[in-house]
Amino acid sequence: MTRLRRLSLPLIGFAIFIVIWEIAGQILGNALLAPPSSVAQTYVGLLLEGRMLAELFTSLRQMMIGFLLACFIGMPIGVAMGRSRVSDAMFRPWVSMFVVTSTAALIPVLILLLGTGLALRSSVVFLAAVWYIILTTYNGAKGVSPSLIATARSFSASRFQIFWKIILPSIYPYLITGARIGLVHAIRAMVMAEMFVIVGYGGLINRTGLDVDTAALLSLLLTLMIVSLLANWILFQAGRLLAPWYEQRSS
Amino acid sequence: MEHARSGPINIRQRPSRVTDFLSGNKVLGLVSVLIGLGVWELAASQFHEIVLPPPSAVLARFFDPDFLSRLLPSLGNSLFAFAVGFGLALLVAIPLGIVLGRSPLLFKMFDPLISAIYAIPPVAFVPFLIIWFGLFFEGRVALIFMMCVFDILVVIVAGARDVSQKLVDVGRSFGASRTQVLRLVVFPAISPFLIASLRVGSARAINGMITAELFFAAVNLGMLMKRSAQAFDTASAMAVVVTICIVGLLAQSAIHRLEDHVLRWQPRRSS
Repeated sequence: MTRLRRLSLPLIGFAIFIVIWEIAGQILGNALLAPPSSVAQTYVGLLLEGRMLAELFTSLRQMMIGFLLACFIGMPIGVAMGRSRVSDAMFRPWVSMFVVTSTAALIPVLILLLGTGLALRSSVVFLAAVWYIILTTYNGAKGVSPSLIATARSFSASRFQIFWKIILPSIYPYLITGARIGLVHAIRAMVMAEMFVIVGYGGLINRTGLDVDTAALLSLLLTLMIVSLLANWILFQAGRLLAPWYEQRSS
Repeated sequence: MEHARSGPINIRQRPSRVTDFLSGNKVLGLVSVLIGLGVWELAASQFHEIVLPPPSAVLARFFDPDFLSRLLPSLGNSLFAFAVGFGLALLVAIPLGIVLGRSPLLFKMFDPLISAIYAIPPVAFVPFLIIWFGLFFEGRVALIFMMCVFDILVVIVAGARDVSQKLVDVGRSFGASRTQVLRLVVFPAISPFLIASLRVGSARAINGMITAELFFAAVNLGMLMKRSAQAFDTASAMAVVVTICIVGLLAQSAIHRLEDHVLRWQPRRSS
């Protein structure tokens, strides 16, 4: 009963949304708001045609360059900031400056620096994701229980042992949360950069936007939504597998 | 490693919030920024002014009356669109967030839907918003709204769900009406979340402001940037970026001040 209820309520929510959308879509017509029925048709068509998914996979593959760089650079910086007061003070002004500066504003400047190719898109993704990864890791590293460290020291653990056996397991969930938040920003940045220079999946959205029919446009948004949710879910499951001892703290 | 050295005194967990980021060891931070600017200045001497202008050239733009006379009116217009979009988002998200957070039924029904829509990158809505609202002011306001409304909503819902049921019950058993419970219990309890939503939302809205000016018909700061970039005046384009960064930092510190004022009664807690 409870399980059924738990599942049925969100479904009712979605159903209400889709019904309202369908009615509004029927009234407004495909040019303004394609109803779900015609989006579904177009969606199947786009799936069979294959171009949408091909563009998507190319874009995602290219996005991974910037995202992985952001993880490899951001996570150590975050840990260093959380564990050492000097590096905290050194990096802090940069992080707080960049985290409030929108990545979109950097694109015109970056185009002058890097051109409009892969280097631009990778650095936009990197710059969008890295600060959030740093901040999350920082919060994790800062919150490592001092009594655990004190205990380890009183059992004469070395610095390396403390790092490997206490700090790293404690911040594990934060690393995964950081990667999740970073990935959300990376996907946003990917779409934004691609829409700006009109290539890849973002470019496809831009060109589709010029059509009179919004069904294709909404289909592209739907795919983006599925990708974003799926990526989030995969990282969440990866976190549960890799660090099951901290599940409740990481959400 | 200062935790371990200072021993049991430091056992109490220090607050670890993003806002505490603004206050910290100022001197070291300043040194770090100066080193960074120095490295940039040195690096820039290796490149052409178009590719990488030195920080001194960017700074000089702020003393150039010709550039300032274009920058300041643009900034004013941009901030106006920001204020309208952000204000509308607050007007929609705060009541909606409280309703969703206070009603477990509605929360269960609509939370997954909201997360699903939230997962779509807002910039992807731009072509759609152009169809609906056109290329100008309305379109920009719509994008600013779209970019911050869900971030605000999520924080407010979390806040409204966080309100202690005990407090609500105590209020009810003393005969408080629904509006009294809302005004005297729920609102004070969610005020930290309101501040947090302002903080997150304003950053997102500023982001939306500049994104809109670049993606819709280029106007204001966005146009200033695009024109500067097209004229290979990189220093001016960077000066606009610096302006946006300063606006963002000022907004954050203003909200920080507000927080200290509004939440005087509340002990600092880590999020």
